[in-house]
Amino acid sequence: MRRRVLGVVAVAAVALFALLPLLSTDQARSAGLPQILDRSQLRELTTISMFVVLTSAWNIIGGLAGYPSFGNVVFFGLGAYATAVLTDPEHGHLPLVVGLLASPLVPAVAAVVIGFPLLRLRGHYFSIATLGISIAFGEVINNLDVLGGATGLFPPIIRNDLLFYYLMFFAAALTVAVTWWITRSRLGYGLVAIRENEEAAAVLGVDTTRYKIIAFVIAAVLTGLAGGIFAQWNSFINRENVFPVDYSVQMILMAVIGGAGSITGPVVGAVGLEALIQLLAGGSGVYTQILLGALLAVTVIFLPRGVIDFVVGRSRLTLAHFRRSLRETSV
Amino acid sequence: MSLLAQQLVLAVLLGGVYVAVAVGFSLVWGILNIINLSHGAFIVVGAYITWTLFGRFGIDPFLSLPLDALALFVIGYALQRGLINRVIRAPVFFTLLLTFGVNLAIVNLLLAVFTSDFRSVTPSYAGSGLTLGPVVVPYIRLAAFVIAFVVAGLLSLLLARTRVGAAIQAVASDRDAAQLVGIDLRHTYALTYGIGAACAGVAGGLLSTVQAISPTAGDPYTLQAFVIVVLGGLGSVTATVVGGLLFGFIEVFGQAAPGLGAGYANAIAFAVLVVVLVVRPQGLLGR
Repeated sequence: MRRRVLGVVAVAAVALFALLPLLSTDQARSAGLPQILDRSQLRELTTISMFVVLTSAWNIIGGLAGYPSFGNVVFFGLGAYATAVLTDPEHGHLPLVVGLLASPLVPAVAAVVIGFPLLRLRGHYFSIATLGISIAFGEVINNLDVLGGATGLFPPIIRNDLLFYYLMFFAAALTVAVTWWITRSRLGYGLVAIRENEEAAAVLGVDTTRYKIIAFVIAAVLTGLAGGIFAQWNSFINRENVFPVDYSVQMILMAVIGGAGSITGPVVGAVGLEALIQLLAGGSGVYTQILLGALLAVTVIFLPRGVIDFVVGRSRLTLAHFRRSLRETSV
Repeated sequence: MSLLAQQLVLAVLLGGVYVAVAVGFSLVWGILNIINLSHGAFIVVGAYITWTLFGRFGIDPFLSLPLDALALFVIGYALQRGLINRVIRAPVFFTLLLTFGVNLAIVNLLLAVFTSDFRSVTPSYAGSGLTLGPVVVPYIRLAAFVIAFVVAGLLSLLLARTRVGAAIQAVASDRDAAQLVGIDLRHTYALTYGIGAACAGVAGGLLSTVQAISPTAGDPYTLQAFVIVVLGGLGSVTATVVGGLLFGFIEVFGQAAPGLGAGYANAIAFAVLVVVLVVRPQGLLGR
């Protein structure tokens, strides 16, 4: 019963995200329908969809395989630069479609090259190494005059917010579908086995290196696609807006708050948190960041398995739960 | 030739600063198994304390170092007791996340208070130095170098010769056994974290005299501290000193290489990290 209600809620939410944007601005007016969303709200919905992609893609390597990357933004940045180089009038000057098709490829290659040395590392080492690589990539690109240096690149402006919303929404749906497929496949079982006990998984015949790299590449492809769409949508990219360490943090935070390792958890976390961030400060501002920091602390202490675990899992919202979480560990 | 000599001197002096940057990070990692991602923020807090005392009250930056240490010790102790102790037995990912959250909060708090302007501490003797033939040794960098070694030495003595140090070492080697012999784990964890933060505070005070600071300047220090500890090896103050000095050389001579420059500082640091992790994961002096 409870699951059925939740299913209906989920379907309704998805339908809302799929259809509501049709009632935005010009499209609604020309069809004689009520205008529910204005342009800035449509852009906020696009950003929310973007974070669903980033968070769910992070979840594939961080949640399912248990390799918490602190540098997934590198794939976002590489995807954005791949698209921008191809469509920028001063470089490739190719159509949008070509640019978008290239956006998953460059990150995929990067994921293989980075993955071989880095996925051998465990725990802290993997996290910091990925953090380092994202900073290093951003820095190198920032120094390359061929790629616009610190000024960045300017893909041609396409004024069609609805198109970009649906592209991002499609990417989000694709990411969730891929995650769903993985959790039901051999790959998914292998990844969870690696997360729980890598040596045991290897003994049982899971080709751990191959599985981890496949998961890393899938995450890179989806994240890169979001980067490519963002580059076109924003029509201006540089290190600041496509390699921000903040994005890596937000992916992790959203996935953990929602419930890392599940399909719906990262989606719930991304939608809920990004909506909250937009409501608070339009996405930036020091006080939002302070709040995010505090939220991280609260999540880690009280909800290590995410909010989704309170809905479908074993956690219960009781006073005892909070008391237990608040205890200083001494034993 | 004289250029090379000058570069060598600068590399050694810079290495000293890196020892200060990494020594507290190494302690917290080695003893508590926490990668303290707020380490860089602690450094910046120390730098701002020194800057404020210098700017407002004209206190010499080197005199404010003990205050940096004290303030950061209190902050660190409180953070460990109030927050980190609650998840210290959870998987490492959670302590990593928690310290990242603390870092985010501190950095943005600093931004709200001090704005993002770059600040620097410039006492009257800032520009002068010791001339040794063709080589100039800036007084400030020399002092920073000496103080970094004093801090590393004191920490070493504290760990080897005092009761508190013995308790910290005991906790690191076996938590349960340490508790059995009557060591208060919660207090010892917090002491360790506080001492690590105090070292960061001193490093921050030193750095404010050497380079311009801003609230967001901390993250590269965290990354550098990590690389230095990996380079030297985890587990002893000596290893961190070796790692720090070596890193100073890598940075000075790496940036002097053709085609590279100061803009590549993090990329070089990261390349070193990957090479060491792949070739010798336990570090140069690691066990």
